[in-house]
Amino acid sequence: MTRQERAGWLFAAPVLAIIALVFVLPTALALCLSVTDYSIYALADWSNLRFVGLGNFTDLLSTPLFWRALANTLIFAALGVPMAIGTSLFVALLLNDATVRWKPLWRVLLFAPYVTSIVATAVVWRFLFNQRFGLINRALGAIGVAPVDWLGNPHLSIPAILIFVTWKVFGYNMIVFTAALAAVPQDLMEAARLDGASRWARFRHVTLPAIGPTLLLATVMSVAGFLQIFAEPYVMTMGGPAQSTTTLLYFMFDEGFKWWNLGQASAVAFVLFVMTLAVTVVQTRLGRRREWL
Amino acid sequence: MVAVMGEGTGWTRRAALGLIPALGLAGCAGRSDDAGTAPLSMWAMSWEGDYSPFLMPRFTARTGIDVDVQSLPTTASHEKLLTAFAGGAMPDVLMLFNTWVKEFATIGALAPVTAAPLVADVFPALRASTRVGGHDYAVPWSVAPQVQFYRRDILAEAGYDAPPQDWAGWRTMARAIKRRRPDDYVFLMLLNWPTALVTMLSQAGAAMLRDHDTRGDFQTPEAREAFAYYVSLYTDGYAPMVLSTEMQDPVAAFATGYCSVWPSSPPTLKDFARRADLIPADKWSTARLPGPNGYGAVSGLSASLCVSTQTRRPREAWALVRHLTSVESELDYQRLIGNLPARTDAWGAPQLALPVLRPFAKQTRALSVTPNVIEWERIQIEIQSAAERVIRGVQTLDAALTALDERVDRLLAKRRALLNRGVIA
Amino acid sequence: MAVTRRMAVTRLRPFLATAAVALLTALTVLPLAYMVIVSFMPRGESTTLPTPLWPSRWSIENYYELLVRRQFDGAWFDYRIFPALLNSLLVAAISTLLGLVLTVPAGYAFAKLRFRGRARLLQMLVAALVVPGQVAMLPLFLIFKELRLVNSYAGVILPSLAGIFAVLFVRQATLAIPDEMIDAARIDGASELRIFAQIVLPLLTPVVVTLAVFMFLGSWNDFLWPLIVLVDQHLYTLPVAVAAISREHAADGELMMAAAVVTTMPVLLLFLALQRYYLTGLLGGSVKG
Repeated sequence: MTRQERAGWLFAAPVLAIIALVFVLPTALALCLSVTDYSIYALADWSNLRFVGLGNFTDLLSTPLFWRALANTLIFAALGVPMAIGTSLFVALLLNDATVRWKPLWRVLLFAPYVTSIVATAVVWRFLFNQRFGLINRALGAIGVAPVDWLGNPHLSIPAILIFVTWKVFGYNMIVFTAALAAVPQDLMEAARLDGASRWARFRHVTLPAIGPTLLLATVMSVAGFLQIFAEPYVMTMGGPAQSTTTLLYFMFDEGFKWWNLGQASAVAFVLFVMTLAVTVVQTRLGRRREWL
Repeated sequence: MVAVMGEGTGWTRRAALGLIPALGLAGCAGRSDDAGTAPLSMWAMSWEGDYSPFLMPRFTARTGIDVDVQSLPTTASHEKLLTAFAGGAMPDVLMLFNTWVKEFATIGALAPVTAAPLVADVFPALRASTRVGGHDYAVPWSVAPQVQFYRRDILAEAGYDAPPQDWAGWRTMARAIKRRRPDDYVFLMLLNWPTALVTMLSQAGAAMLRDHDTRGDFQTPEAREAFAYYVSLYTDGYAPMVLSTEMQDPVAAFATGYCSVWPSSPPTLKDFARRADLIPADKWSTARLPGPNGYGAVSGLSASLCVSTQTRRPREAWALVRHLTSVESELDYQRLIGNLPARTDAWGAPQLALPVLRPFAKQTRALSVTPNVIEWERIQIEIQSAAERVIRGVQTLDAALTALDERVDRLLAKRRALLNRGVIA
Repeated sequence: MAVTRRMAVTRLRPFLATAAVALLTALTVLPLAYMVIVSFMPRGESTTLPTPLWPSRWSIENYYELLVRRQFDGAWFDYRIFPALLNSLLVAAISTLLGLVLTVPAGYAFAKLRFRGRARLLQMLVAALVVPGQVAMLPLFLIFKELRLVNSYAGVILPSLAGIFAVLFVRQATLAIPDEMIDAARIDGASELRIFAQIVLPLLTPVVVTLAVFMFLGSWNDFLWPLIVLVDQHLYTLPVAVAAISREHAADGELMMAAAVVTTMPVLLLFLALQRYYLTGLLGGSVKG
């Protein structure tokens, strides 16, 4: 072993050991748990534990709440990713305009919600969304809109939570996009302008290709993030109304840590895992075809 | 700069080498293992948690044992308790709602009651719900039948001295109130709180489970009647479709007349007493809950005290349970937070003769028995969310009841299998 | 005519663009401002109609009750928010320090030190990045139970130290350091530790600060795992404590807002103090003020 090799291992080993303990080992164990019927009865007495093969997975397929949670999660991701990424990009483009003054100030303030605690701000937004006393309905009332039951209507609960999530997270990608936009080649932009290309054409053919890889990465991370929504419904709606905000992770938490059906819950965790993986693979492929990655 | 970085490295190296023991130390700091001096730990929900310090000084004075009480939020308490048991971090003494006792006894979290006199003079229905396999696992602490709190002024306006005794009359009253107060509602029943519906189900005579409690039984005429009645109170506009997360302040909703009838349990007495400036005592009264054809048995969230099997100090833990469930303490608690004593001996006390307590007293003689299976807490939540789906128009009543039976069958599958194998009786 | 209009637009543009951004910023900050305003309202005022926009009088009773003590019937009760604040500080500080100690050298090693298995390990780390941490959560609880880490700070901190992202983040930044500098030091006979500490670390300072703020925020705001693994309320971190009282005391809107302020403000202030480093780190030095 060379001196360098020894140092390399010395530097890397501690964190790798911890990753193995808290991440690799449990993930492998989760796979094992998902083929058992570990439940509250097994908590009482290990002899009640049985190997059930894919039983937990087939059970899931016939559990309506699982499908509802899956659908809710997909809705969260399908609406939330464009909402969050779109807002980030929109604000980043706006901030990128050379004529805007006091940019650092705006940047800091727009980023502020990102650093706040989800639990605390979810409590705040639950209050803002309140049908009778909320500020949002008061504002809507001022322009003649009837009070909206944001968190009580099963069709509006996801959009309401998404408004909160977008507010909370857009700042991060806004900064990321700002960095990417700064790298857009200005000479190319100028050439396009001289060619008489429209604003949209310049965005489409100059800006977009330049920020493409960043955009793709941000989208992948956002999808992964939205697939893992939990704290927002936990604090704001407890998964309701009518289970309309019960997400896969919420379902897993309920099954696992509320009812101690670790077998079933591990199966849910694996569905989540496979979904995240699939999204990543698809998006990476997509990126490659467009020659962005 | 170099010097500063040098210091930094020194720290880094030491920390890297000392990492493992440091983590071990942090682990120890988490929970003191010194059983001799640490206070006895106790967990309780609701007002019982907030007010238990009132009863502790006397206990500490008598025994020299300090008690540290942790107040759990009711909606998160079940999972917190299970997780604590699974993680080996149970308190010495814990409060449980009676419907949870079987569950926690079955998983081995509760120490059986060995001193028979402790449970000798409690209401028989309470004791029955805390016995598992012929042993007592909890000492009943309070009896909490549901009654209705109503606004005397609003009912009087609508021509009622007191709420009617049957469902049809209740609804007629609601219509009369709603006609006078179209912007308000009548019944305060939160959509994620199952007690009202479970009471209606047992009043209608629905068994809820069948085949030795191994399958759901919600497609019977009785169950359908109760569900349909419950749902109609919302769809007819007599009860607001809100969850507990949306109802910022139920007491204020009652005080402002937003709702004028509130099916609830003894802790609400305390809420009203604390906020008498908002809701003066002459504005409200109590009455028994109506049944399909008059008064009947109702359920409630009666609570018990248990000793954990993980306690290292069972003697002190039982002493605390004995102290808290004594007639003297139960009457103290009644004065403090409205809780009604589980011991029949306590009921001779003059403080329990107040007019607002009379409906409770009558109702304690008619307590309904819910199916005693360890999955019950979960089944209750399924019952409630089935009703919520119908109320929100997501599902029809028939579809919801069919789905509910399927869901409950699934939840009881493990119980069925164990029963068939003869592992459980 | 057209030309003058065009000129007017050109002259107006800075105002319009700045005004648009300012409006957006105002909308973004409004919920936080309202949170602070409501937290100073007297108890019960926020649930009166019409919804008040300003306190009828500024009151600190909510903070007093939350942080100091609360009166019920002549006895004092404690929400234990202030201890939770200290707990959060302790947990966040330890996990940030340990996290940096663990991940910064590792990131450097993966970038600049040649050792067997490095490429394969790196690949595995990148792949692990997309695995949702929640998959590991259930068995991790069982493992921690065996290790007696449930209900301890170590149980909260340990998982946050598995900073795969941080390792890759540091590696990325370290790649920009020219090899020649390191090789030159080696030829001068400096030990690997010395090279790391005296040559690499100073160059990485902005990255380390960014990472530190990142880790601190992550730990401070972490909710799901502490919720599960902390059982004893004496150990609760702020978000767990706030979630607990938000479920039981949702009635007290003003009190909840005060709790939200207490939870939010420390990190907001930390961020404002360090925003120059933090945002520059995120921006990758490509954008100047």
